[in-house]
Amino acid sequence: MVKLTINGKEVEVPEGTNVLEACLGKGVQLEHFCYHRYLPVDGNCRTCMVELETPRGRALTIGCNTVVAEGMVVHTTSETAVRAQKSALEFLLLDHPLDCPICDKSGECYLQNHYVDHGRYEPRHVNPRYFKGDKALDIGDHIVLDAERCVLCTRCTRFLDHIPGSSELGIIRRGHEAKITTFPGKVVSNDYSGNITDVCPVGALTLKEFRFKQRVWLLKKAKSVCQGCARGCSITVEHNFNRVYRYMPRENKDLNRSWMCDDGRFSFQNLDENRLMLPMLKGKEVSVVDASTVFGQLLSSVKPTEIGAIVHGSSSLETMYQVKKLFEKIGSANAAVFIPPANGKGDKILKLPSLVSNENGARFLGMSLDSESIAKKAASGEIKMLFVIEADVLGPAVKDKYEAIKQAANLIVLSDKITETAKAANVAFPVRNFVETNGSYINATSLLQAARRAYEPENGDKILPAALLVGEIANLLGFTDQRFEDPSAVFNSISKEYGELGGVKFRKIPGRGIQLSLPPIGPLPFEGVKVDFNIFPDEYSTASQIEEAEKSQGITVDKQ
Amino acid sequence: MSSDLQLTKRFGIENSRNIDVARKNGAYSSLEKLFQMKPTELIDEVKKSNLKGRGGAGFPTGMKWSFVPQNTGKPVYLCVNADESEPGTFTDRYIIENDPHLLIEGIICGAWALQCHTSYIYIRGEYEKQFEMLNVALAEARKAGLVGKNILGSGFDLEIWTHRGAGAYICGEETGLIESLEGKKGQPRIKPPFPAVVGLFNCPTIVNNVKTLCHIPWIIEHGGDAFAAIGTKDSTGTNIFGVSGHINNPGYWELPFGMHVPEFLEKYAKGIKGGKLKAFIPGGSSTPVLTPEETEDLYLTYESMMAHKTFLGTGGMIILNEHTDMVRALKTLTHFYADESCGQCTPCREGTSWLDRILTRMLAGEATTRELDMMVEIADNMEGRTICALAAACAMPVRSFVTKFRPDFEKYIKPAVFAGAAVS
Repeated sequence: MVKLTINGKEVEVPEGTNVLEACLGKGVQLEHFCYHRYLPVDGNCRTCMVELETPRGRALTIGCNTVVAEGMVVHTTSETAVRAQKSALEFLLLDHPLDCPICDKSGECYLQNHYVDHGRYEPRHVNPRYFKGDKALDIGDHIVLDAERCVLCTRCTRFLDHIPGSSELGIIRRGHEAKITTFPGKVVSNDYSGNITDVCPVGALTLKEFRFKQRVWLLKKAKSVCQGCARGCSITVEHNFNRVYRYMPRENKDLNRSWMCDDGRFSFQNLDENRLMLPMLKGKEVSVVDASTVFGQLLSSVKPTEIGAIVHGSSSLETMYQVKKLFEKIGSANAAVFIPPANGKGDKILKLPSLVSNENGARFLGMSLDSESIAKKAASGEIKMLFVIEADVLGPAVKDKYEAIKQAANLIVLSDKITETAKAANVAFPVRNFVETNGSYINATSLLQAARRAYEPENGDKILPAALLVGEIANLLGFTDQRFEDPSAVFNSISKEYGELGGVKFRKIPGRGIQLSLPPIGPLPFEGVKVDFNIFPDEYSTASQIEEAEKSQGITVDKQ
Repeated sequence: MSSDLQLTKRFGIENSRNIDVARKNGAYSSLEKLFQMKPTELIDEVKKSNLKGRGGAGFPTGMKWSFVPQNTGKPVYLCVNADESEPGTFTDRYIIENDPHLLIEGIICGAWALQCHTSYIYIRGEYEKQFEMLNVALAEARKAGLVGKNILGSGFDLEIWTHRGAGAYICGEETGLIESLEGKKGQPRIKPPFPAVVGLFNCPTIVNNVKTLCHIPWIIEHGGDAFAAIGTKDSTGTNIFGVSGHINNPGYWELPFGMHVPEFLEKYAKGIKGGKLKAFIPGGSSTPVLTPEETEDLYLTYESMMAHKTFLGTGGMIILNEHTDMVRALKTLTHFYADESCGQCTPCREGTSWLDRILTRMLAGEATTRELDMMVEIADNMEGRTICALAAACAMPVRSFVTKFRPDFEKYIKPAVFAGAAVS
């Protein structure tokens, strides 16, 4: 640890930390544009100016490229430093179009924040503005470029150079004519292109999928886990009026840093597609009462030992646990977790071939992964009533193996979508998807993370989370202790039962997750930036400080 | 005294570019002594000479060389900065035109001191002929066994490559030069790390000016103390001073440091052309301008220039006579810097163009007094806030022009229609 003084206050930070991170980590606000924690330092915006006391007098320097030293004295609020910070802002705003009312970054724009905090001066620029052109230029599948708003911080070019390594963007021309652009006729096309809109501090790069959809200050945020693949990147679900508008990567140094892939990012688009809103009997929508009556009759016609269940490997830990408990009580081994074949496109950055988000959850609970044997038992008549929970076993990829269950058993499906399986079911009950309920997931690297409820669906009292619906079914079978108010309560009892979790409550699961000792699944490469990163504030801030920071960003933590 | 000439001693000899003529007149004579010296001895000798870099910043060469880390296992590169683009500066060009073998000899000496085996001469893009001359000289030297493997049987290998820039001023900045040499866009690198530690291709690199290296053979032959005895205590040795502008005899002369400026202007430059002296730019366009009164006790030394809050820079003086319109003169300079700013750092990218645009308005008679004051403030906000010195190079002339020749600027100010208009 190194001791230094920031604005007269002595602080301690790890060796190798830069002055900017030291300031931010200790709650000293220091504006910056080009510096990004997970990208190499470039130092071109000249905004994070600080004054250092040196033997030769005070020296003005940038915080991001200055490594802390023992006894260093830093001033961020001295007259000279503030003037330098303010003048950098004035220079950046010189030719800025100030089209905030129609800019999608408005509300989360570094220029706006900086101006509100430190600017508020009378504009002195009377020259005709220089127009860079390139307004709303389509530069890729997902990206729109607005060169006028650009502050040339090169975060996007550094991201493309160092993370996907595709280098589609670059700066052409010199001086104030310099602008970001692609090679002639080329577009930004890689699996991580959405991230350049996240790193862009201003409205120069925006997402086609988010443009003009919602003002950012109206969005409510919930910490969640991406369900795109087995990596389970930390994300924030941003929603309003019971609709998700975007997923944003949430910083998690050891998991996804602050990136996510485009597949995951745009997976919110089919959340509400093809939703199962009412129960179905053999593909026909009916009322909840009718479906319950039919289900009650079917249930009473079979013995508990003739019941079987297949749970999807992407179901939450709570759902799996409820199923496991139920079958433990029945005393049969007729429950298994369905793991579809790993047919995703893995790469060396984040994406993994397996698309199952909670396979390690099944391993953690010690559940069987042999769902085919359950299907065989159903086909042979050994199982008379088969519950298929959130799994589309009759979907195109695995249809051949599970076809037989159609004729052989009473098929009861719990699903959030109208799948092939749901259509074939004797009774299909709608359940909530992962943004509508609390749930926890253990990813391929054995990191347990909580996906917190973003919102309740419109008819929330009729659509239950799968974990609770399983509890209700258990109740019908006479096992009354499986009814819970919320899946978070289910987690709390898992936590009590499994020592490794140490009795942690759902609401106390930290944002960056809990690392479990389960062996990781499959190859887990993370290549990318070859820069030494030893500059993380979370290494010297306490968890409560992070929670505080996240709260101030509007990322809420549920009460449970 | 002709024996005092170090850089221009073979200038004027017929066919001096030819290796045989050059060798007959003493070229490469230092090499014999060089290979008997230890590299550290040579660095010490250069330190003793107090030779300062002639590229403009005036950093002690011996000290710069000693920054190269030893035994890193990486090659060391010596880059020769022949990207002479500073307005008013033209002396490296004459060395290459008249005596390229002196430069090659200097490079061999420098490479021996640094134990470097690859050297690059980065030459300004516009110096097309000079590039050819340098290549011819290099081919001659290679044929004579002075460049390549086992130079003069010493066992020392040195390959020298020439590389042409594409005409960007910023590639004369040492890290901009390195980036350009690597094939990237010429944009200065953030420091630290300094090029002596992480430079060209991430290896230790020293970038020296042409004239700096050309002094080394003389130092080897005559010793660092002899060099330090020339000139003044802080400004040792000789330098080629170039004069351009409103002057009767523009040109260049190699002189020891310490000459009185008015005397120099009379004796060598033969007086001001077309009237009296109005402004004196001492060392390339980026150095702060001086008024005639200030030049009265000004000497051609680093310390005298510092005392007058300006710099010796490259030693390329620009003389402006009393009929010069200082606003238009400054507009020429700001246009140059706005055009040549690489566009990397905010204050330089926006500031240079802002100043240029204010001057455009001023020349059109649209600017107000407030903008005149603003120019100084913008210059203050640019200087010392950027990766390289280009912002300062633009800010220094702007500040000195506006403060020292304010009446010239006020002539262009829009007359106030009513009292309030002048300040708004």
